[in-house]
Amino acid sequence: MRYSTFLIQRVLLSVLVLLGLSILIFMIARVIPGDPARIALGPLASRSQIEALRAQMHLDEPLYVQYAYYLAGLLRGDFGESLYTHRAVAIDLRDLFPATLELVFYSGLLMVVIGVPLGIVAAVWRDRWVDHTVRLVSLAGVVTPAFVWAIVLMLVFAYALGVLPVAGRLSPGLVPPSAATGTVTLDALLAGNLRAYLDFLRHLILPSVSLSLAGVAQAARLTRASMVDVAGRPYIEAARAFGISESRIALKYMLKPSMIPTVTILGLDFAALLGNAFLVESVFAWPGIARYGVEVILRKDLNAIVAVVMIMGLFFVVINFCIDMLVGYLDPRIRLRQMEDAA
Amino acid sequence: MRLLAVLGVGILLLVLATNGPSAGGPREPIVLRIDEVAVAEIDPAKSTDFIDSILFYNLYDTLVAAAPGGRLAPSVAESWTISPDALTYVFKIRQGIKFHDGTPLTAADVEFSLQRMMALRQGFSYLYDGWVSAVKASGPSTVAITLAKPYGPFLSTLVRLGVASKALVLKNKKDGKFGEFGDYGDAFLSATDAGSGPYQIKSHNPQQLSVIEKYPAYWQGFAANAPDEVRVLLSVEAATIRTLMVRREHDVTSQWLPTEIYRALDDTQGIALATERGQSNLFLKINTKRAPTDDINVRKAMALGFDYDEVLRLIRINDRVTAGKTARGPIPEGFPGFDATLPVPKRDVAAAKAALGQSKYKDVEMEFGWVAEVPLEEKIALLFQQNMAEIGVNVKVVKVPWALMTEKATKPDSTPNIVPIFFAGTYPDPDSFLYSTYHSTAAGSWTSMEWLLSKDVDGLLDKARTTATADQRLLLYKQAQKMIVNQVPDIYPYEQFAVFAYQEYVTPAFIDPAKAIPVQGAHWNFRLWQVDMAKKKAMGGK
Repeated sequence: MRYSTFLIQRVLLSVLVLLGLSILIFMIARVIPGDPARIALGPLASRSQIEALRAQMHLDEPLYVQYAYYLAGLLRGDFGESLYTHRAVAIDLRDLFPATLELVFYSGLLMVVIGVPLGIVAAVWRDRWVDHTVRLVSLAGVVTPAFVWAIVLMLVFAYALGVLPVAGRLSPGLVPPSAATGTVTLDALLAGNLRAYLDFLRHLILPSVSLSLAGVAQAARLTRASMVDVAGRPYIEAARAFGISESRIALKYMLKPSMIPTVTILGLDFAALLGNAFLVESVFAWPGIARYGVEVILRKDLNAIVAVVMIMGLFFVVINFCIDMLVGYLDPRIRLRQMEDAA
Repeated sequence: MRLLAVLGVGILLLVLATNGPSAGGPREPIVLRIDEVAVAEIDPAKSTDFIDSILFYNLYDTLVAAAPGGRLAPSVAESWTISPDALTYVFKIRQGIKFHDGTPLTAADVEFSLQRMMALRQGFSYLYDGWVSAVKASGPSTVAITLAKPYGPFLSTLVRLGVASKALVLKNKKDGKFGEFGDYGDAFLSATDAGSGPYQIKSHNPQQLSVIEKYPAYWQGFAANAPDEVRVLLSVEAATIRTLMVRREHDVTSQWLPTEIYRALDDTQGIALATERGQSNLFLKINTKRAPTDDINVRKAMALGFDYDEVLRLIRINDRVTAGKTARGPIPEGFPGFDATLPVPKRDVAAAKAALGQSKYKDVEMEFGWVAEVPLEEKIALLFQQNMAEIGVNVKVVKVPWALMTEKATKPDSTPNIVPIFFAGTYPDPDSFLYSTYHSTAAGSWTSMEWLLSKDVDGLLDKARTTATADQRLLLYKQAQKMIVNQVPDIYPYEQFAVFAYQEYVTPAFIDPAKAIPVQGAHWNFRLWQVDMAKKKAMGGK
């Protein structure tokens, strides 16, 4: 089988997965207790008001008819209207998703640029004080939820020391860059607005560190364990026998094969950040989709629930796809096996 | 290690390089920063909640205004006449009011706004549904509203009729189900305003941040040092608000913070607490149609066995500030229709046991459902459980998410025996509290989980609605309250005071009790607030 055929198969499979997810979440959203029309219209709505809204939302029709309406809208790029914000869900997603994506991207970046080096350091100096320190830090990172880190870091750096901002993406007095993409990074850099970008980075430090600490810890532990495992292999002994330096052995011959489990887990962690961002977004008033997702579930905002889950599902599918590609690159044998399995 | 060091130094440099004031300009605007709970609905025909109401009263002028003490005052309507049969109200529209786009407000805009509200059938439209039969503008300054039958609270309900610009809304209409009116400006008015109020929308994100700015040509003017801009931050964690307040980066908190945070803020120099009174009551709604609380003796025992003093201790912030006081009935003191002759409820364990002894039920057990999103209700539930155990009633405490509670409220069999609900008056009339709670037509909504279904009470409330004379109506409402209280469909633990923390350089209008307007959101009228910028700077405000 050609590699391009394999890729097309994967894409088609992903579309099927998303379709299945849409049916599943559509049904689940509708069996959550509570009448969405009643919740949306508030306590004082009359019965006739509630019935009118139920009819408008097709809630008085069978589930498969409701799903057909939804799918038809989805194919037109119309997620319907949010009962929570009274706006088109597509507009809510357009406003909120870039902020979360940006937060998740930087958090993922921290997971890699801090977690992997920590793992390397711990593996190279294993069973020394460096290794023990990394282990302790990693354990603390893994067992402490992100929102606890968020509160602790905010109390230390914003409340006590007062050196970092507490809320939002930009300081209130700062003129934000025009929203071309919705991400401050790209918008500020496209506009050449360095001041806005630096201000954004200051606002980003606490939420991204809080969100990434568990992933950093996991990356460090996985990288260390894999590298220690690889260190015992004969080819590493052979490299040492040839007199190759320890740093070269670690970075060139041990790291690449050790990265396969790390990349796989980090990829899943990266995708999971999207959901885990909820409390961090709440603590730092970060205008993102994770907080919105929880609010719409609590209010049984059907259209928004399905849209948010679909966005998260799409994110997972894309990340999984990228991981498969990356793992295939790191170890061509895996790529060949994937293609054989697909054939 | 080198990488870590570089990263650390980089972050430090970033902090040092960018830490400092970020705004500048020739004149520093007066900015007021508050927070509230999302979502902020700005369409005048849809707004109902507290934050909606705050924005509503700042963006729009209403046909009639709510005044201190629950009185009604002229606003867009400078005067009005009522026909002898109380079926036709003719309003004279004030000249000289301009919308934010500079066009004059006329009677046609009033006609359009009421028609739009009734057509959308959301928000407070139920107040007019079935009552208003026609609305007609004649000329630029007269509008007549005809009722299908006399409707006593009608004038009071007009404090929720915000006037939007007909021309601007129709110019921005989209395709919709309302024929020539398209979507009636549904999408447009959820994103921006078309009002004539003292403030106009600058930017609006209904779940994150809403920014309104002064409309300098406002016809009623502004207090000296009134804010030029108000930033409403939505749904931010309590710990974050506390940090922002201490750093002087936030000016006024919402009323939804935990007691310990108010206490801590009150102990912080330069921050004070204020309360808003006369708007809201806590009801412990007793399901009168489900065993064992369908027995009035059980309900009497519950009301007599509850420890009202302990509740007041629970809600006390500190020695100076409390979040409520003893309630006498369904309507709080300061709200029209409050009946000072109703007895003050007191705990009497012996009398409670005696009442329970007269019940037809033995081994009384009941379910107390508290709303999961309101942590204070759990404390009240546990106190109730403990009190009832002392008189021999076994209470099962259940945490119920709000979405599920609204569903449970639709049937008497699924409604818990007892549910705590906070309710605030939305228009200055006793009808606001009584009709939606006790009238049979309200049964099935969470405001009416008592399932009272009493023909006598319905008769009095209907009669009060259709009586035109204010004094006669008040007498009927007092009769109704006595009848209701005698049937014990509720326990009234306390009148709720909304507590807010504010920086001392801000003077909110509501800190003067004499100016209190007992209508949700009505005195968050920022044009009357003041921000002392010199004091703010001296206090280190940012």
